[in-house]
Amino acid sequence: MTTTTAPPRARRRPARQALAPYAFLLPFLVPFVLFTLVPVGYAFWQSLHKTERTGGTFGHTHSVFAGFEQYADVVHEPFFGDSVVRVGVFALVQIPVMLLLALVLALLLDSTVARLKRFFRLVYFVPYGIPGVVAAVMWAFLYDPRLSPIVDLLKSAGTQVDLLGSHLILFSIGNVVTWTYTGYNMLILYSALQALPADIGEAARVDGAGGWTTATRIKIPLIRPALVLTGVFSLIGTFQLFTEPQVFRTISTSVTSTYTPNLAAYSLASGDNYSEAAALSVLLAAVTFLLSFAFLRLTSRRQG
Amino acid sequence: MAIGERTSSLIRTSLVRRCMVGAAVVALTTATGCGGGGGGGGKDGGADGSSCKPSSGKVTLQYWSWVPGMQKAVDLWNSGHPDVQVELKTTPAGNAGTYQNMSNALKAGNAPDLGQVEYDSLASFRLKDGLRDIAKCPGVDAAQRKFVDWTWSQVGFGADGRDGIWAVPQDTGPMALFYRKDVFDKLGLKAPTTWDEYAADAVRLKKAGKYITHFSQTDPNWFTGLLWQRKATMFQRDGDSWKVTVDRPESRQVADYWQKLIDRKLVATDLQGFSPALYKSWNDGEVVTWISAAWGYSTIRDNAKSTAGKWAVAPMPQWHPGDQQAGNWGGSTTAVLSGSKHPAEAARFALWLDTDPKALEILNREGGLYPAAKAGLDLPALKQPVDFYGKQRIFDVFAKASADVDNGFTWGPTMTDTYRFISDGTAGAVGGKGTLADVLKQTQSQSVDSLRKQSLDVTG
Repeated sequence: MTTTTAPPRARRRPARQALAPYAFLLPFLVPFVLFTLVPVGYAFWQSLHKTERTGGTFGHTHSVFAGFEQYADVVHEPFFGDSVVRVGVFALVQIPVMLLLALVLALLLDSTVARLKRFFRLVYFVPYGIPGVVAAVMWAFLYDPRLSPIVDLLKSAGTQVDLLGSHLILFSIGNVVTWTYTGYNMLILYSALQALPADIGEAARVDGAGGWTTATRIKIPLIRPALVLTGVFSLIGTFQLFTEPQVFRTISTSVTSTYTPNLAAYSLASGDNYSEAAALSVLLAAVTFLLSFAFLRLTSRRQG
Repeated sequence: MAIGERTSSLIRTSLVRRCMVGAAVVALTTATGCGGGGGGGGKDGGADGSSCKPSSGKVTLQYWSWVPGMQKAVDLWNSGHPDVQVELKTTPAGNAGTYQNMSNALKAGNAPDLGQVEYDSLASFRLKDGLRDIAKCPGVDAAQRKFVDWTWSQVGFGADGRDGIWAVPQDTGPMALFYRKDVFDKLGLKAPTTWDEYAADAVRLKKAGKYITHFSQTDPNWFTGLLWQRKATMFQRDGDSWKVTVDRPESRQVADYWQKLIDRKLVATDLQGFSPALYKSWNDGEVVTWISAAWGYSTIRDNAKSTAGKWAVAPMPQWHPGDQQAGNWGGSTTAVLSGSKHPAEAARFALWLDTDPKALEILNREGGLYPAAKAGLDLPALKQPVDFYGKQRIFDVFAKASADVDNGFTWGPTMTDTYRFISDGTAGAVGGKGTLADVLKQTQSQSVDSLRKQSLDVTG
C-alpha cells in the first residue's frame, strides 16, 4: 500500500453523487427520526420537568425544569424495586427454560432422522403468529378456576391449584410467554444450525460421532452466537413485559397495576403523572440499551 | 457471515414486535407533546366562563360518547335543529382509553366540543383545564331543579353554582341489592335490611354451599359506592387546598366489615367483576347477591340468562336499622370541553339530551342509562314490571335509592390513581397480605402523594 496522492476523481465526487446514499436512506431515516428519536427525545425532555400550579384547588399548571427529581421519585417508589426484582426472577427462570426448549426443538428438527420437518417447524412457530393479547386471553380461560378444563382435570385427579393465585401467577405468566416465544427462538437457532456447512457434520460422522456428541460438541458451540443473542433479546423482552400481566389483571386478583416496570409506567401515565412515567420509561430504555450494548460486545468479541 | 446475517434480520423483526407494546407506552407518555408542554395556563375555561353568548350562523358540534344507541338520540336532535348539528364519535369507555384521548386532544387543541365524562372524572378534567364553565350559558342555571339534587351538587363541585357549573348530569347509578329470591326463600331468609343481617345471611348461605357475593379487586368504584353510602367522604376541598379523607372511622367501619367476610371466607375473593367466571357462578347459583347500581339490572339479565325470573331487588342493607342511605356507582355527565368555540350551543344540546323525555327514553332503551333528570325517573319504561326480576317493579327501588344518595360526596382530582391504589391494595388483602383497613391507610398516604405530584396544596 503506497501513500501517493489518491486519484482526484475519488476525492472530489460530484455533490449529487455524494448525496445519493442519503437519499436512499431517507425512507428509513424519516420514520426513524419521527417515530423513534423524537418521541424518545421528548420523553427524556419531559422526564426532566415537573408540574407546578398556582391558584387554588383547580389552579393553572406550568411545566418547570426539575433536573433528575422525577428519577429520584421513581427509584424511591415502593413498586420500583418490587417490579424490577419480579421481572428479574422471571428472567432467571423463564428464559433458560424457554431457550433450552427452543434449542432441543431446533436440534431435533435439524437432526437427520427427523420427519415432517416443514410441518413441525410451522407448528412450533404458530403461537408466535397469534397476537399477544389474544394469546393471553386464551390462556386466561385455561387458567380460570371456574372455567378451565385443565383445573377441572387436576381437581378430578385430586390436586387443587389456583393458577391465578398470588403464588403461581408469575409461573402462569411465564408459561404464556414460553408458549409464545419458544417457537420463535427455535427458528433463530434452527436457521443458525442450517447455516452450518454440511461437511462439518459429515466429518464428525466419519470420525464416529453419534447424534448426541455431534449436537453437544459441534453444533451447540458453533451456534453459540445465535444462542447468546436469543438470550439477550429474551432478557429485553422480559424487562418490557406488559401484555400478559395487563390482560391477567382483569381475571386474577393477584396482579397489581405496578406488577412490571412497563405496567407501572403505563399506570403512572394514566394518572396524568406524565413526567414520572417518562422518567420510568427512560430508565427502562436505558436498561434495554445497556443490555443490547452488552450483547453486541459479547458477540463481536466472539466473532472477531 | 451467514449466521450473523440471517439471525440479525430475524432479530430486527423480533425487536420490533417485542418493543411494540413498550413503544405504545412511550407513545402514551409522549403523545401529549403536541400542545407545547402544558400550556402555561393560557386558556382559561373558568375566566371566559363569565360570558356564554350564542354563536351566529350554522354550528357543528363534535361529541364523543360511548353510550350504546347515542347516535339515535343525536339523530333526533339533528333532525329538529338544522342550525346546530352534532357529529357523534363513538369511543371506548372512558377509562378504557377515551379519557386519555380526550386529555391528549385537549393538549393538542383539537378536543371535541362535548364529551362523556363520569362524575368521578370531572375533577381530574377540571384540574387539567379541560372543562368549560357553563354556569352563564343560557338555560343552565334554570336547569338545576330538573335534576336529582346530588347530581347537580356533583357538576357544581358542591358549591351550588357559586363555583361554576362544569357539566350536565346524564345518568346515575343509585345502588341496591340484587339477590336470588328463590335461594333466599328456600333457606327461609328475607332480603337483609341491615349489614348485620347481610353478614348473618352470608353464614347461612355458606353452609348451603353458596357465596353471598364476590369481592372484586377490579371494581374500586364499587367499593367507593359502599363508602358513599356510609357517608365516608374520600376527599374534601378546604379553602385553597385539598384534604384527603380516605382513612376515617366511617370508611374503616366499611373496610372492617368486608374484611371480616373475607377472613371467614363468606365472599368469593377469586372472582373479578364483569368476568366470564363471575357470570358462570351467577348461572350456577354459586354467587347469589350483587350490591350494584341501577344499570346492573341488564348486566345480570344478559349474563345470567339461566336464572331468569329468580332475582329480585331490595334496598341496600343499612348500617343502622331504619336508616335510608344509598350509595352510587357510576353515572356520567355531558361536559362542554374547554376548547369549544360554541359553548352556548353545546350546553343547549347537553341540556336537551339529558332532560328531554324523548332523548331520555332512547338513552334508557338503547343504552340502559338510568336518568339523572327527575322527569326521567317517570319514564314509562321505568314504571314497568320486569320479567327477569319476577315481574317486580325494580325501578321503584332505584328511584327511592336515587333520592337517598348523599349530596356531600366529593371526588378527588386524581381518582385514577386513588382507584389504582385501592385496587392494588385489595389484591394484597384478598391474597392474605394485609387487610382492607391497611388498604385505606395506604391509599390515604399514596393519594396525598399523588396530589402533591400534581403540585396541589394538600393536607392529609
